[in-house]
Amino acid sequence: MTAPASLIEFRDVHKAFDGKPVLRGMTLSVGKGEILFIIGTSGVGKSVTIKHLVGFLRIDQGEIWFDGKRVDQLDEKGFYAVRRRIGMVFQNATLFDSMTLAENVALPLRKHKKLRQATALAEAMGRLEQVYLTGFADRFPAELSDGMRKRAAIARTLTMDPEVVLFDEPTTGLDPVNARRIDRLILELSRNLGVTAVVVSHDLASIFSIADRVAFLYQGRVHAVGTPAEMRDSPDPIVQQFIQGQSSGPMETPGF
Amino acid sequence: MSFVIDRIFGTISAVGAYAIGGVRAALELWMVFVGTIAGIWRMYGRRGARRPAGALVEQMHIIGNRSLLFIVVTIGFIGMVMIYQACLQFSRAVGDLSQVGVQFLRLIVSDLGPTLTAMMLSTRVGAGIAAEIGSMKVTEQVDALRMSGVLPVDYLLVPRFLASIVMTLGLSILGCAIMYGAGGLTAWLSFEVNPRVFFDVSMVRPRHLILGLMKALAYGAAIPIVSGFCGLRARGSSEGVGWATTAAVVGSSFAVISIDFLLSVGALWLLGGDL
Repeated sequence: MTAPASLIEFRDVHKAFDGKPVLRGMTLSVGKGEILFIIGTSGVGKSVTIKHLVGFLRIDQGEIWFDGKRVDQLDEKGFYAVRRRIGMVFQNATLFDSMTLAENVALPLRKHKKLRQATALAEAMGRLEQVYLTGFADRFPAELSDGMRKRAAIARTLTMDPEVVLFDEPTTGLDPVNARRIDRLILELSRNLGVTAVVVSHDLASIFSIADRVAFLYQGRVHAVGTPAEMRDSPDPIVQQFIQGQSSGPMETPGF
Repeated sequence: MSFVIDRIFGTISAVGAYAIGGVRAALELWMVFVGTIAGIWRMYGRRGARRPAGALVEQMHIIGNRSLLFIVVTIGFIGMVMIYQACLQFSRAVGDLSQVGVQFLRLIVSDLGPTLTAMMLSTRVGAGIAAEIGSMKVTEQVDALRMSGVLPVDYLLVPRFLASIVMTLGLSILGCAIMYGAGGLTAWLSFEVNPRVFFDVSMVRPRHLILGLMKALAYGAAIPIVSGFCGLRARGSSEGVGWATTAAVVGSSFAVISIDFLLSVGALWLLGGDL
């Protein structure tokens, strides 16, 4: 039970849903300031992994550490402090439909930082500028494209100046141009602000352009971990099958 | 032999799993209720608390104003049908229709008015709340609220809870009036019952009014809690939202009938034959 040297550490994490195991002894550590990609087939537990870190799911067994403290045993109130330091960009952008972009971005400022509405809105405008959306502050999410919504969701996450940002499939469903813009944003966050990014993704173009390290999840465990170059050159046939996107090979995928 | 034992134990464990699931759901429902009450304090009770501008008024409009036509038309027809049937039976059995209006008023004030109004609200409002919260749940908007430092119960349930209580009370009173008026009109036009005889309020006591208002209050509280709870339990995708909506309508209708039964039994027990 000693505190780890890395910023985030999952130790022998197990999680099952309705008796079906998803994570089966997953161990992974994330260093400060790095961009770590978690890759793997659908349903392997990538999103499940990151949701444990902010308390949306509870592990069945194992330990999760963040900045020298164990977080898997915290209650909902305890996780509020963690969520001020770890931001999350969800797969569906998850902007609130009844609010304008500026109000969406201002919400965490009002709640976490207890700012007044006018102050929060002024700060929200600055954040929207960071993601090139100043002209759309008064629009509602339904009026915008997927890429814009995703960027607004990133702006909302950045309002809290998080030390860590968890991205759940940030480029899924986006056209290649918007996907690369998101990649650039993630890279800027890491390089300019020192933010640690944990990215769940299938997008090989993102992985090979911005990842510092890649963790490949298979059968509920981290099967392989390394730099993108190491993964590309890996002799492991399972890793090679995933990276090359081959439909047949040694990889066991449920349903096929 | 072992096959039979396996079947027996299998059945026992299946029943046990259902029972445990039921108890857990009841506890979670209770926690949602307690959380909503605490949320009212957090949002409206504390000095300096920041109330969401317009959220309460918006919900009152959605729950109350938009249900108005549905409730008025449906409950008006129910009043007409009930009085038509009552007059028909009374005229066959005793031939005297002078007591129909008096007894009908006692019945709708202490029971049918609020209960039928709430049953209709369970379908319209309950389904709406569960579908809205359920779709927010499956698209991770509820998690996004938690990430933003907002308790989902405060943001999603507190305004709906307060709006539902106010509007169920108001609509129940209106429902009673519509039912009574439609009934009196039917009795007059179909059975020539003098409206002065029908609209006789002398037999209604304050206790009937209090019982009726208590029921309306309890229904108004139960519908958003049960529906919101079902919405927050939605899982998966659109199928989960569909499940939540169905469960909300069934659950809140059941809650209305159960509350009606419990409060009626309680009132009978307290007041005996005086009710």
